[in-house]
Amino acid sequence: MAVVTVLGLVGAACGGDEPGVDEPTDTAAPELSGGTLNMAMLADVTAAFDPQKEYYSVTWEYYRCCLLRNLMSYEGVPTDEGGAEIHPDLASGEPTISEDGLTTTFQIKPGLMYAPPKDDTEITAQDFIRAMEREANPKANVGGYSFYYSVIEGFDDFGAGDADTISGLAAPDTHTLEITTTTPIGDIGYRFAMGAASPIPPDDEGERMGVAEGHDRNYGRFLVATGPYMFEGSETMDFSAAPKDQTEVPGYIPGRQIVLVRNPSYDPASDGLRDAFPDRIEVRIGGDNDDLYNQVEQGVLDFVVDGAVPAEKIREYQTNPDLQDRINVYPSDAIRYVSFNLAVPPFDDINVRKAVNWAFDKQGWRQLRGGPSTGELAGHTFVNSLQDNILADYDPYQTPNGSGDIEQAQAAMAESVYDTDGDGVCDDPVCQNILTVSDREDPYPEQTALMSQNLEPLGLTLDVKQLERGTMYNQCNDANSQHAICAAPGWGKDYADGVTFGEPLFTSSGLWESCCNYSLVGASADQLSGWGYDVTEIPSVDEKVEECSALEPGDERFQCWAELDQQIMEEVVPWVPYLFDNSVDILSENIVNYSFDQFAGLAAFDSMAVPGNTS
Amino acid sequence: MGKYLVRRALFMILVIVIVSFLTFLIFVKLPAGDPARRAVGRTTNPEEIENARRAFGLDKPLHVQYWRFLKGFIPWPPSDPVLMLLSEPPRGDGLWLNEDVYFSYGGFIPVREELARRIPITGTLAIGAAVIWLLLGIPIGILSGVRRRSVADRAAMIFAIVGVSMPIFWLAQLLLYGFWFKLDLLPASGIPIGYNGWGGALRAALEGRFILPWVSLAYINAAFYARMVRGNLIETMNEDYIRTARAKGLSERRVIYKHGLRGALTPVVTMLGLDVGLLLGGAFITETVFGLPGIGQLAVQSISTNDFPMVMGVTILGAFIIAVANLVVDVAYAFVDPRVRYT
Repeated sequence: MAVVTVLGLVGAACGGDEPGVDEPTDTAAPELSGGTLNMAMLADVTAAFDPQKEYYSVTWEYYRCCLLRNLMSYEGVPTDEGGAEIHPDLASGEPTISEDGLTTTFQIKPGLMYAPPKDDTEITAQDFIRAMEREANPKANVGGYSFYYSVIEGFDDFGAGDADTISGLAAPDTHTLEITTTTPIGDIGYRFAMGAASPIPPDDEGERMGVAEGHDRNYGRFLVATGPYMFEGSETMDFSAAPKDQTEVPGYIPGRQIVLVRNPSYDPASDGLRDAFPDRIEVRIGGDNDDLYNQVEQGVLDFVVDGAVPAEKIREYQTNPDLQDRINVYPSDAIRYVSFNLAVPPFDDINVRKAVNWAFDKQGWRQLRGGPSTGELAGHTFVNSLQDNILADYDPYQTPNGSGDIEQAQAAMAESVYDTDGDGVCDDPVCQNILTVSDREDPYPEQTALMSQNLEPLGLTLDVKQLERGTMYNQCNDANSQHAICAAPGWGKDYADGVTFGEPLFTSSGLWESCCNYSLVGASADQLSGWGYDVTEIPSVDEKVEECSALEPGDERFQCWAELDQQIMEEVVPWVPYLFDNSVDILSENIVNYSFDQFAGLAAFDSMAVPGNTS
Repeated sequence: MGKYLVRRALFMILVIVIVSFLTFLIFVKLPAGDPARRAVGRTTNPEEIENARRAFGLDKPLHVQYWRFLKGFIPWPPSDPVLMLLSEPPRGDGLWLNEDVYFSYGGFIPVREELARRIPITGTLAIGAAVIWLLLGIPIGILSGVRRRSVADRAAMIFAIVGVSMPIFWLAQLLLYGFWFKLDLLPASGIPIGYNGWGGALRAALEGRFILPWVSLAYINAAFYARMVRGNLIETMNEDYIRTARAKGLSERRVIYKHGLRGALTPVVTMLGLDVGLLLGGAFITETVFGLPGIGQLAVQSISTNDFPMVMGVTILGAFIIAVANLVVDVAYAFVDPRVRYT
């Protein structure tokens, strides 16, 4: 899967009855509030909750629902209920944008305080600048996503130590934040709806990094919350001590447990986005996947955050009338695909790439993954929510039942330079033993075997290398590896905008050593030569991506991403997209309310109501 | 004895240095991928990768990197020895797995803190299982050895063969399914929130949360020990000194328990030391199936994510425990076998 499986969508204007600041609502219906939500995670978060490092959808949900509020944020609902839209959260309204599109100004709600022990400290504009300075700091941002903020004027210079401040950030008064970018970008609100942009309070000594001073590697364990919850025992942190002598918050023990309790400073009237139903959220870390789902079935646990529901459990919950209301299936805004390396023959020929698309048995691949509940067959490269469903029915290589069409495939192959006699079968030696990199975990070995079988009639034979997942991704990404097919990648959005697909996957900025343009779309002749390829030309979509990125969120931007998607599918053909992934959750009988958060692609933790659960 | 212990301690240090060097060598030669690249995630750029490399000290020459790790686990003067010794888990500059170097690439947490947190779980699992397998394995072995070819002997050997043959992951899941999921006689897997440190592990044990993990681990080892005791006892009972004891008119009971068993149990002491040492280094399968956050689970997670500081910490801890277990076994020999003397 992608680095993070998270996203958010277009920032539609907030109307009077929209969630957000304008008309704050106290949504925590009394009958749903209370109780302890008992969850489990197979593995811990990736950077011990450090907001400038955490690039993981699970952590992003903890931030969104519970711990951190941002200038803008999401409501924790599915796309069709507006879950991909951002709304003012700590901001008092929509930002204003200067005429040249370079300066965005946020007004911050007055009177909002941090969680204990900083409950006497108001959230101010300078605290956002502090967070951005920390995100620019290479010692503090390891593993983070500072590239989303490089567009802020002076951000990179500050990170490199060439400037004392980030010139593009200013706080003219305590409740006004001005952001100046080097180029107009339409999605600045989304970028400030991510955890890295949430405010960091000052400390008593007036240190530059505030309470994060001295905690470059582990601020997450000293995290001061702004959301409806905080780590249990937050009030025991003492920021007046030297950083080295400060004690980590007891409510989070890495690799072991997370305990969230209500934040006494939180004012629900200022927040129309979060339900905050449970009084307490307890999370156990570690265990066996199947056993954890048995515990959900028995009511010992209420929910498993990061597990994969076993296929037999999915069947049981979908077919048993008593259990049907306890299973939830939503598109997780992630795609699975097979990518071609356009610099390696025979995939330097678009007709070969089209032939593979025609021959590919998408239905078979889905069956091997677990059947229809695992997702919808994909006909294009961007998940539908990023294009407002404009291409929902679009698939230029649609075949009966999605099982492949060998006649169409051979017709495309016959157009190829590698089929000299035009019989629809490749007769060039480059079609033999095609280097294919894949994942060694299930279901990929069976899936690649099926692909080998599907491609045989086209004269294509594969040399499949099955690797550990991380190694596979490194190989796919490494332009020097000369692989021809990367058979097992996936990608999820970071936030609900096409830029989180278009830029890393298809532009030259995603080429090695950056990530994750495995097809080398947009590579220059010099780059190709440097990586040892004979091919000198590969199509580029850089200009189109740039055009779409500059547009304001809205219909025009959706349409632009859809056009790009069509261009990619018909004129570039770098992939066989085969599955739009679903997220499948099963719940314990204790949970009486559930909502899917489209931003994180996970259940909204704060919306799971367990009023009857006692700790 | 004193000189012997000093010699063994020095040898133990040498073993740990060699183990650490080999671990480092495997890490730098493994094609598992650049840890800096893994840490930055998939959406990244060359600058971020380089920053991560610098942050982890991976930009330095290999010998400098190894020296940092080596220096990091050798006792080092702490800036505040009192704080370091009193804190739980230990804090401070050095003494054991210095935080500057032994800091997880994967979870961004100090290695020693993570180990300190997990040792009580693995320790409780290993010690409890060892007690059970000794209580089961030795009596069954004696019974079987003394009453050869009897019904009891054959039943005991069936018990042993089944135990030795059964994969632990299967037995563990079977027990969990039967005794928790179906019959609800024992608690579900996992350690509840708030059960931290040795106190938490003990509390979990008293609530029966370790019974199934103990039984899973113990059954296989009990079966092995039963076979070993039986074989040793049969061999010992044919020794000349046993015949002499019988000729002197000692009762059969006294011959078996006073003379035969002492000889038969000496190899058991050796095996027990090594087995417990190995288990304290982690019992990955049992810990994973039963959701026990112990050392074994940590080792596998760290290896799979190429988290070298954590792998190094776990390896050194494992080597240390096994070396100490060996030392204890050797010293115990002097008490078990009167022929052994150390100089």
